[in-house]
Amino acid sequence: MKRLKSVLFLTVAAMLVLSACGGGSAATSAPDQPGSATEAPAAEKKVVTFSWTQEFTSLSPLYSSGWFTGVTQQFWNCWAWNYDENNEPYPYLVTEMPSFENGGISEDGLTITLHLRDDIKWSDNEPITSEDFRFSWAMNIDPKNIVNSTYPEDLVTSVDTPDAQTVVLNFDAPSAAWQNLFTGIVPAHILQPVYDAEGTLDNAEWNNNPAVGCGPYNFAEWESGSFARFVRNDNYFDAPAKIDEIFIRFVPDDTAQTTALVAGDADLGAFIPYSEVPKLQEAGVIILTQPSGYNEGIFLQVSEDFSHPAMLDVNVRKAVAMSIDFDSFNQDVNLGLVKTPGSFWDALPYYNNPPVEPYAFDPEGAKALLDAAGWVDSNGDGSRDKDGVEFVIQHGATTREVRQELQAVAQQQLGEVGIKLEILNFDADLFFGGYADGGPTYSGELDLQEWSDAPSGFPDPDIYYWLCSEVPSDENPSGANSFYICDEELDALIQEQAAQLDPVERQKTVSKINQIFHDKVYWIGVWQDPDVWAVNSRLTGVKFSGVSPFFNIAEWDIK
Amino acid sequence: MVRYIVKRLVQGIPLLLVISITLFLLMMNIGDPIATMGGRTITRPEDRERLTRQLGLDKPIAIQYLYWLAGNDWTKVDSDADGIPDKNGTRHGILRGDFGTSLVTRKPVTELIGERIPNTLLLMLASEVVTIFFALLFGIYSALRQYSVMDNIMTALLFIAYSMPIFFVSLMSMYIFAVLFKKWGLPYLPTVGMFDPQVGKTPWQVFIHMILPVFSLSVTYFAAYSRYIRSTMLEVLSQDYVRTARSKGLPRHQVVYIHALKNAALPIVTVIGLDLPFLLGGAVVTERIFAWPGMGRLFLDHVSRADLSVVMGILMLVATAVVVFQIITDIIYAWLDPRIRFD
Repeated sequence: MKRLKSVLFLTVAAMLVLSACGGGSAATSAPDQPGSATEAPAAEKKVVTFSWTQEFTSLSPLYSSGWFTGVTQQFWNCWAWNYDENNEPYPYLVTEMPSFENGGISEDGLTITLHLRDDIKWSDNEPITSEDFRFSWAMNIDPKNIVNSTYPEDLVTSVDTPDAQTVVLNFDAPSAAWQNLFTGIVPAHILQPVYDAEGTLDNAEWNNNPAVGCGPYNFAEWESGSFARFVRNDNYFDAPAKIDEIFIRFVPDDTAQTTALVAGDADLGAFIPYSEVPKLQEAGVIILTQPSGYNEGIFLQVSEDFSHPAMLDVNVRKAVAMSIDFDSFNQDVNLGLVKTPGSFWDALPYYNNPPVEPYAFDPEGAKALLDAAGWVDSNGDGSRDKDGVEFVIQHGATTREVRQELQAVAQQQLGEVGIKLEILNFDADLFFGGYADGGPTYSGELDLQEWSDAPSGFPDPDIYYWLCSEVPSDENPSGANSFYICDEELDALIQEQAAQLDPVERQKTVSKINQIFHDKVYWIGVWQDPDVWAVNSRLTGVKFSGVSPFFNIAEWDIK
Repeated sequence: MVRYIVKRLVQGIPLLLVISITLFLLMMNIGDPIATMGGRTITRPEDRERLTRQLGLDKPIAIQYLYWLAGNDWTKVDSDADGIPDKNGTRHGILRGDFGTSLVTRKPVTELIGERIPNTLLLMLASEVVTIFFALLFGIYSALRQYSVMDNIMTALLFIAYSMPIFFVSLMSMYIFAVLFKKWGLPYLPTVGMFDPQVGKTPWQVFIHMILPVFSLSVTYFAAYSRYIRSTMLEVLSQDYVRTARSKGLPRHQVVYIHALKNAALPIVTVIGLDLPFLLGGAVVTERIFAWPGMGRLFLDHVSRADLSVVMGILMLVATAVVVFQIITDIIYAWLDPRIRFD
């Protein structure tokens, strides 16, 4: 018995020690970084703990499109330009933003020239040059690399590097989305040899262990499922960071994240559900919101082939929009923290100009529109019908709780005007499945499809879902237009704005699209969906951007 | 006995093959891994088309299963997504020890599982030990004092514990022992993770971060186990040989712990033997709430992204563990009850 006790004790002790040393499997860690999580940091070190509800899939800007990966870029990587708290771009690696006025954009819009600063360098003291830009672009579009997205690099036809500080981007056609380029670069001096040896960067150690970066912090360590550490980059080319270490802990559960923030075990949390805000504020945690282009919205399917016949009538679609009290929903469920957006470009006031207002809640007006359209309850079953067809439509969304609540409200309020709503919910990976995979949004059965979305490259206003060329079919299984809307006027305007480099001209075009969306009711805003941050009051200098959230992370400090 | 073990292991191979085919077919219908690769926005059509080809998801299910099982290094694949197979694949297949690469993280599945297993075993074994220890303590005590006041109180408390869902126990314990204790100025426990970054990942830190998840996991299981032990002990304590042992004048602890408990242990071993392989799978809810980096979270994170390679790897590991632990349970049976023979 004694021997058994000893064995048990030794086993548990050994496992604790092994786990404390990395769990028997090495955490991904960068060489030559001060300390590791297994060593206690010096007491005077300033360490802040961020709570992430999702883990990064990869740290490489080439191999992950995830938000949680993207926002770390401002810690350890660098963009050609950053965006401030007003979501305005400002030069970072370049000396100035290219424009027609300074000659950075050629008159025909087919060439964009970037002039790099001459003092920028990687954390290993190697200079950042035009070759790093060319290499980053080339790797992104190289089919030998299984990158998550080749957009917008695939808009560029070639990159010239006349000298170490000049990058010339050549296009076949003017592309208004050029500002989305170079959101993260990769070090050619580290990765070119890897590519030469392996023919791909897919398995490069740098992807998950970017020992060489260019931000105010250096990557130090990443233990799968547990944490990641970033320590101050002493070779940073700008003013050094004030905080010594950023510790990111992966906490997938929203309630646990809130508890950790209240208990002081986390200094910052992202994607805070509105329902948790009062509890956090009561505990002294500061809540900051920042528009990031996203709005929760209902995308309407309008197709002769698939839609319910009632939904082909624009007045019926207006009646649907007028039947649901989104304002009260946002007041009651989202605690009045967000408003109902009238426009898909609600977070871009420059393009939502003149601002489009949402349809006001008016059930009586909705009933009148439905009556006038011939949809009446002729058989007394409680729902409207026409020519023997009952007005029954389907509303599909993911399983997110707040969406299900909205669906329940919509079902009740549409029922009150005589429209029967059937509710369907799916896991996100099923819901967003493609046409070829039988994704429900492509099935033609969902008259209303709900999710949160933003312009393709916020703050760029570009959209593409509604292009006629995106209508999916067996011949075009990759089409993204799950609403099956092919509106020739809209199609022409979407194509026109995508090639307009002059912001004034583009604003006019986007305004026309905006108005069509409203008048033809192709999209109904449900709630603004800004980034919601919870910040411990001991942090100072905290600002967020909706594009590059941690643009001023080097200025953050602890009281 | 060696022959018996070899025979059982050989029987396990076709069983695992059938399990793998069933799981693979089910996995093919759980979602689209490319759907979530665009991050917060929907994956662009051009990227969807390219990724489908590059990741081999355009192949028929039977071919995908064959590649998963036997690899694709013997045939040409379309590596550059131009629609033309251009070079031999790089996968060796599970039969040659290659569990594949995660579609989401692009890391080898064995590496991902290897990173999480020690954390899961630490948490799950600790909770299993705590569960069994307290279950024996309470179960035997209740059996020896059947229908006493303490037995009734313990029975009531155990039923309450058993009826509480684990997420409720987890969140409540976190709120009481971390938030409220801190508010009241009492020594408090950490909420999430494995250590405090200000202190570092020391054995003590890992230990105190384990207390709440182990407590949450143990409460429910301990309640069930202790009721089971109570009933088996009551059955054995009424047997003739126990009465004989008592009448021989043997000390009480010898009667209880050697004569009664050893014989009562047989059904208990069955239950524990069935539970043990699932320890490898981790505790999905507890690991998620306490941000414990174990297998349960790995499974949840990857199943929600339809990451076939990782999910199949975990499921096959658990299936193999079930087969192996069944054999181990049979061997322990024979040790506890010499009447049982392998033939």
